[in-house]
Amino acid sequence: MIFRLGDQKPPDARRITDDVIQRFEHVYEVDPEMMRDFPQQELPAWDTQRIVAARWDHLDWMHDHFADDVLKLGLDSETMPDEEET
Amino acid sequence: MSVAFKSAVDDGVIDELRAITGDPDRVLPNLSSRVNRTRVPAPFPVHRWAEFMPDVALLPTSAEEVSEILKLANRLRIPVVPRAGGTGLSDGAVPLRGGICVDVKLMNKIHEIDLTDRTVTVGPGINMLKLNEELRPHGVFYPDDPASYPCSLVGGRIGTGGWSLLGSRFGHTRDLVISMQVVLPTGEIVEIGEGGGRKLRKSSTGLTLKQLFTGHQGTLGITTEATLELVPRPELEFSAFFAFDDYMKAYRTTGALTRSGLATLAGVVLFDEWKLRYLRRDDEAYIPQPDSVRAVVAVALYGTRAEVEPAAQRVMELGRVDGGKYLGDEISQGDWASRHDRYATPLHGRTRDGQVAPMSWHCEDAALNYSALPAVREEWHAIVERYSERYGIFDDWGMFAYTSGPYKPWADYLVEIDVGIWEQRLDDDTWAGWVACKREIAEVALKHGGSITACHGATREGDAELVPTEMGSSWEVVKRIKAALDPNNIMNPGKQMLDEAYE
Repeated sequence: MIFRLGDQKPPDARRITDDVIQRFEHVYEVDPEMMRDFPQQELPAWDTQRIVAARWDHLDWMHDHFADDVLKLGLDSETMPDEEET
Repeated sequence: MSVAFKSAVDDGVIDELRAITGDPDRVLPNLSSRVNRTRVPAPFPVHRWAEFMPDVALLPTSAEEVSEILKLANRLRIPVVPRAGGTGLSDGAVPLRGGICVDVKLMNKIHEIDLTDRTVTVGPGINMLKLNEELRPHGVFYPDDPASYPCSLVGGRIGTGGWSLLGSRFGHTRDLVISMQVVLPTGEIVEIGEGGGRKLRKSSTGLTLKQLFTGHQGTLGITTEATLELVPRPELEFSAFFAFDDYMKAYRTTGALTRSGLATLAGVVLFDEWKLRYLRRDDEAYIPQPDSVRAVVAVALYGTRAEVEPAAQRVMELGRVDGGKYLGDEISQGDWASRHDRYATPLHGRTRDGQVAPMSWHCEDAALNYSALPAVREEWHAIVERYSERYGIFDDWGMFAYTSGPYKPWADYLVEIDVGIWEQRLDDDTWAGWVACKREIAEVALKHGGSITACHGATREGDAELVPTEMGSSWEVVKRIKAALDPNNIMNPGKQMLDEAYE
């Protein structure tokens, strides 16, 4: 793997809600305008992705710890289509 | 009567403690050891830290050492505060009058796994996660599952009378402890259980003392060994989260689920509108949800595949009857898994003008019946709003109600209002405001026929003063028991208004 500094700059943000922006897919961040007193630490892209991946690893570990298997229904959220209709 | 009100730890006491342990490394009078054993995660008057430090911390390794420590403390009237994981959401492990902190973390051994009579016997310093890692190859599980699961210890769970996420299915800490060894304040080592047998779940001999020594917040002694329940390791887990556009629909659905009769039901949680507002602000699962999502009901099942699969179908039916919408597998499973470890969540809140600030998490809990939930919710939020507006360093993070009756999920709830507190801004004025806020919250719980705490413990300044009121006519009995077992009030003095036993 080659480390290229330019690749580590987070992409430009897009607004999700009045409070939240998104720079990486599925990663929500507080709007920097709301962090004037306590600015967000700057992270390279790889570190943000590492933290997110570690969170999923942690949740998978918890499932495995508490039961042999998890029953999945194969169903998506029933709330999100409402949003698309509006 | 002479009682322990002021610490008398001096060099002579330190020398005696070193002689008891025979190991100077387990007697810790140094500043960092004391500072680190002062507070717990509950909000704390950080500007008065030094007032609450123990004078010395000890790390005993046996009941005999604990016994000798308590005999010494009793002789010299030195306060003693037991401490396990120090993860409590009340102030049970916070010394109010200095003295000796007995830290049980080195008493963390598994003494016996009995797969025939289905028990495991451990020291109080073992963590449930680590215990279950050892139990897994045997196909058994110790199902005590607090939100501090990865970091709290068995001894603290017993001392605080802990509550488990899986309590409706498997019971809470007091239901899962079969017997224990306790060192009394005067130093005697006694076996406490149901009657005489160390592994018996039910007896009718004598008085049932086990519950007395569960949830006393370190005021009656120190548990040095516990024999715990083992259940079959669950084959299957199922969790489902349902969204509602109205709190009362979610409330009715919660009631229907808890009355379903499903034996695998481990817990049902009802999140209110304020909680959804908080989650929509800062939680990845709820940020993208439409505005119509105003309340959520979460359900978890554990058991064999043969039980859980049909029960899950019933849950899906009941969850949708009153307009509930399934939030999908990803949110249901991810959010449920995260509930075993809420202490891993970095915390921040918002000031009144919307700016982010680092905040600690206070969860004021109460035990309430189902009928009281809607009204208490309105009153609690109004109280927090009033204090937030006045002081500007509190942030309402919403409420939840969680089934609390062991094996009987239909009527009792652990109810919490979560409040962020900007601790760095605490001073005498704002701390007094916070204490007054907590007291008002607790008074509402009592007014509605509840208890001021379902699991955290009534040791916090603000609500502890209400313990005699809640105990009512039984308060005299409580005081007599305390005075009889702890004649010099050395065990965690100042907690739960038990000083009144010595007046």
